[in-house]
Amino acid sequence: MIEAKNIYLTYDDNKYIIKKGNFSIKPKEFIFIGGNSGSGKSTLLKSFYGDIPLKHGSLKIENQEVFGIKGKKLRLLRKDIGIIFQDYKLVNEFTIEENIMIPLKINGYSHEVSRDQANKLLAHVRLTHRAGYYPNELSGGEQQRVAVARALAHNPKIIIADEPTGNLDDYSAEVVWNLLKGANEQLGITVVVVTHRVPKNLGIKFRQLSIEDGIIYEVS
Amino acid sequence: MKFLKNIFAFLIPLLSMLIAFSIFLLINNVVDNYKTQISRDYSIVIVSNTPIEKDTFSELAGIKVERIQALPNEKIIANIKTNLSNNSIELLKQKLPNFYQIYLEIFPTSSELEEIKQTLLQNKNIKKVEVFYKNHNQIYLLLLLLNSVSFILFFIITIFAIIIIAKQIKLWFHEHNIKISILRLHGASILYSASSILNYALLSSFLAFLITTCFLYYVSNNMDVLFPLELHDIVDIEINLPFELMKIFLLSFSISIFTIFGVLLKYKIKND
Repeated sequence: MIEAKNIYLTYDDNKYIIKKGNFSIKPKEFIFIGGNSGSGKSTLLKSFYGDIPLKHGSLKIENQEVFGIKGKKLRLLRKDIGIIFQDYKLVNEFTIEENIMIPLKINGYSHEVSRDQANKLLAHVRLTHRAGYYPNELSGGEQQRVAVARALAHNPKIIIADEPTGNLDDYSAEVVWNLLKGANEQLGITVVVVTHRVPKNLGIKFRQLSIEDGIIYEVS
Repeated sequence: MKFLKNIFAFLIPLLSMLIAFSIFLLINNVVDNYKTQISRDYSIVIVSNTPIEKDTFSELAGIKVERIQALPNEKIIANIKTNLSNNSIELLKQKLPNFYQIYLEIFPTSSELEEIKQTLLQNKNIKKVEVFYKNHNQIYLLLLLLNSVSFILFFIITIFAIIIIAKQIKLWFHEHNIKISILRLHGASILYSASSILNYALLSSFLAFLITTCFLYYVSNNMDVLFPLELHDIVDIEINLPFELMKIFLLSFSISIFTIFGVLLKYKIKND
């Protein structure tokens, strides 16, 4: 459950990127957040995992107030979320398998359990044969599939994806959409995706929000 | 190659500091041994109207007294009693002042002894102070000078080493910045995120300690490398190797850990 009441976001106090934001996302929903470039979509998403502090208002993620959150509470909140970035954000010094193990190890799972889970997810994203490779040895599509596997690894309640297909070709984009769809349909994970290109024929019920001049609208 | 470069960048300043510390410890040991050797080569005897205890004596003169030994009056009386009647002896017993010999916590130089004497004489209860000493001043002062110089050198090297180590840790943070931020986005603590930096630092500290141990072991078995052979005739040059190694181990790891935590704290303040 994500609930925003009258939220304001800004980087420098002079101009609000998000003004008076009110919305609510129910568990197991699939949400798209759209809007033009620079409209504040990614900023809004960053506020979900406490990377940008709220200026005003209240934002609750799984009943945890995000306003003013820091320290241990912030770490616990982030452990409940799976994050996918447009630029993948894989750790280049780690192998693909080790990258998927990151959230598991942070959540306190043993090396063996983390490794087993990582291998299951590698099979799920069809990259078992790349387990020992490093991120820069993979194509963009493959790297994003690893990022999806990493986001799913610790069985989060919410997956947040910032332009997950922005750098991908059509085929890779379709693979990533299918993985996100599967996470929502089969695992019941709430998925929030920022994109300016909502895929056609996703074959799933979703809701769409849009940001214009800092105001969040319900599109459908 | 990069791994070795990373280790060496931390290891060399730390090692310089530990070697400087070892040399300071060795010289300090020599000074201490010399002090013990000459510590009985002086004597302060005071004559007082009233009995004096160690604590009150320290308060009176403001000097660090290790112990006070009361000199028995019977010896003095025994030397002269052949010429005296019993009554006179009894009277003498009552009238004789108290004699004490004082041992200090430190070995005093001749000027310090003179200073102590003057301080004691200012006290009304003390009638007389006699100071006897053999002059060890030249060697002792030279050793003290050597000790101070080695400490100053160690101190300067330590400051530079800490600056270089802190810069290296900052560099590691810069190199690992992306990794640290990714791990933190996934809910890891700063300590967990920077664990590879911690590992580098701890490994470097351990290597620095090992190399210093070898250095100290070699020097302790070949003291003529640092000290001329003739010095062995004047002063006992021996060190308690396990005890000194423990000090070096503590210094090596505490400097590394404090520097790491300093940089971690700065990073946390900047990024939180």
